[in-house]
Amino acid sequence: MKRLLVTGLVLMFATAFAFAGGAGEEPGPSDDGVTTIRIVGKDFSPSEEWNIQHIRQIESGFAEYSGEQIEIELVQVPEGAYAEKLNLMLLGGDIPDLIYFQGGDEVIANQGLLVDLLPYVNASSVMQDVLMEFNMQRLENYPYLLWIAPPRGRTAVVREDWFEEAGGEVPETIDDYYELFAAIKANHPDTFVMTDTGNTARMDYTFDHAFGLTATWVMEDGGYVYKKVSEGERDKLEFYQRLYAEGILDNEYVTTAWDTMEDKLYTGQVGLVYGTAGIVLDIYNDKLAENQGVNLVPLPPAQGVGQGYSVSSAKETRGWAISATSEHPDLVFELLEFMASDEGQFLDRYGLEGIHYTMDGDTVVFTEEKSNWWPRFHEVMSWDAPTPMLGPAGLTGWDFLLEYSVGDPDFPIPEELSPTWDALENLYKEYSYKIISGEYSISRFDDFVEEWYALGGDRVTEYANEVLR
Amino acid sequence: MDQSRVLLRKRIYRDRHLYLMLAPVILFFLVWHYIPMWGARISFQDVRYIGQNEWVGLKHYRMLFSSPVFGRVFLNTITISAMKIGFFFPLPIVFAFLLNEVRSEGVRRGVQSVVYVPHFLSWVVIAGVFISLLASPDGAVNKVLQFVGIEPIRFMTSTRYIRWVFVVSEAWRSVGWDSILYVAAINSIPQDLYDAAYVDGATRWQQAWHITLASIVPTIITVFILNMGFFMNAGFDQVFNMMNDAVINHVDIIDTYVYRVGLTKGNFSLGTAAGLFKGVIGLFLIFTTDRLSRRVSGEGLW
Repeated sequence: MKRLLVTGLVLMFATAFAFAGGAGEEPGPSDDGVTTIRIVGKDFSPSEEWNIQHIRQIESGFAEYSGEQIEIELVQVPEGAYAEKLNLMLLGGDIPDLIYFQGGDEVIANQGLLVDLLPYVNASSVMQDVLMEFNMQRLENYPYLLWIAPPRGRTAVVREDWFEEAGGEVPETIDDYYELFAAIKANHPDTFVMTDTGNTARMDYTFDHAFGLTATWVMEDGGYVYKKVSEGERDKLEFYQRLYAEGILDNEYVTTAWDTMEDKLYTGQVGLVYGTAGIVLDIYNDKLAENQGVNLVPLPPAQGVGQGYSVSSAKETRGWAISATSEHPDLVFELLEFMASDEGQFLDRYGLEGIHYTMDGDTVVFTEEKSNWWPRFHEVMSWDAPTPMLGPAGLTGWDFLLEYSVGDPDFPIPEELSPTWDALENLYKEYSYKIISGEYSISRFDDFVEEWYALGGDRVTEYANEVLR
Repeated sequence: MDQSRVLLRKRIYRDRHLYLMLAPVILFFLVWHYIPMWGARISFQDVRYIGQNEWVGLKHYRMLFSSPVFGRVFLNTITISAMKIGFFFPLPIVFAFLLNEVRSEGVRRGVQSVVYVPHFLSWVVIAGVFISLLASPDGAVNKVLQFVGIEPIRFMTSTRYIRWVFVVSEAWRSVGWDSILYVAAINSIPQDLYDAAYVDGATRWQQAWHITLASIVPTIITVFILNMGFFMNAGFDQVFNMMNDAVINHVDIIDTYVYRVGLTKGNFSLGTAAGLFKGVIGLFLIFTTDRLSRRVSGEGLW
């Protein structure tokens, strides 16, 4: 009996551990000149048929581009928050050749597990053509992540009919913006003019520079000061407080998520939102046209002390990294390069022929599935698409970005200061909401600043001044 | 061979089928609860993705405790947990009592099914429902308040009410499910006791108090002591999905703090340190509550 019980338990253990170990396979060795490249990416699962078809077309395109035969193997990330699950997967020892990070990369880079991409980028004529200045600055600060996409600026977009009713003048200054908001409110007293998502980060893109918040760390009295404790921030919060009190800014913006923000736009609860320039604005525009029969008008950033969108040069917050354990780092980089080339962009941006588009001679004709496709690798801003990808709203947003983007010499907060930084940001969140909502008067901003420095802001400010000088 | 060992072997052989049925449960606890305890050592190490982890002693504990907000986060955790235990713990017992008094089998089953359903909803969905009910002055709850002459309250952004929103939403989600144990305990009370009490002239209230409640006291104590082990788990999913900038400093708990500062940045050692810290407190609370319970009521966990 004892033997039976012991044997039974051993068998169960063995079975459990065998399954617990998963079905991971080591990448196969090069066979007949075909090199396997393992890739892990967000929403780039091997269980999606479109992804499989896409990597097959990339393999063919890459063979023509470089003469190299590759086989791409997509790695499945366990279900859940991508950054967290990816790190757990890597911690388990499964480290693919090419890894998309959306946070959590610094710990790994600090251990020397990511390839320094700067020498590759400097030697690549394709990369030199497609990377923008801010990309290069970020790579110089942190050479482990490559992310080729337009800067993530949020552009104000207003529904055309409300805009025209309010005079149709494109606002320039803060006062112009206020007049536009007030006119819209007068025409639609039962609705809010605009909303944001949980905080005012989207609105800030339009107003920060006008209030003198032209960088994360701004000069005040001969030293660098965090913008959120600067005088400009006080003026901005006072302005937002006025918008809130007059029913211009949605009084529920702090509990509004991105999906409810969109819903409010499409159902006429607000007339102005702030969206990521590019294809996102087109999506907003198309859905608004579908639901309300009107288009969106993009608006430029407000003019004041400055005018522009800050583009941080600290580091990429997301992007592609090559594992230092990869046996083929040169080939993996060449794949990244191919995806940034005209040929690669055609594949990655248009999607799958017959599904997302068809060809009419040399012209790409989009199908209804176009809106369900997004580039898996890069979104090169300077790519001269044979058939334009963006509509008027998206294109205007991009034009604003090109015209008004301003470099922000920011830096990553070091690990030892990150708990303090978290505390400081939370302090700002609560104070800013209470000031904007009118629970605190603007005079409480001084209390906030004092508390901010006492909580550890002085240490971070000292560090910032050392770095920035 | 020793007589007692022979007896033990005989007993095991006699109950072999029961032991076999128990084996998967033991295996489950070994694989998912005991073997992972060995992983807690990474709270004293810097994790290396390749190669040996580096022993750093109490570095991650210092990082956890030295944060300028740790005291507040710790206090938030204790406050929210205490509110949940204080106000929520009795509800499933009351519900089981009330359910026991329902005479129609069909109605009882129907009510049970309905109140179990919220347990299967994710906190993402529940948070969406509560935000739409409570955030706006035009929400359903505020409409009712206005109807009875009370000024609308922005519950989700009010530092005064948000913790109560956690208690109420937790109760809404879990009262039915948590009452299962008590319903089972009440159902196992012999009918003879009620019959004898009835013959002796006991009222329904007296029967409920002296038979029903008295019979399930051991179950209540056991559940209470076990709940104390989870005292430091104030409910990550719930808080994470319901928190917003207006109330963040009043509802930020250890789990949400560690998630932001540690896990999203790949710092698993910090997360493990927080987990071990919570576990040690939970274990301490289990033993303390057990001893207190033995002294006061004579009932305990073991």
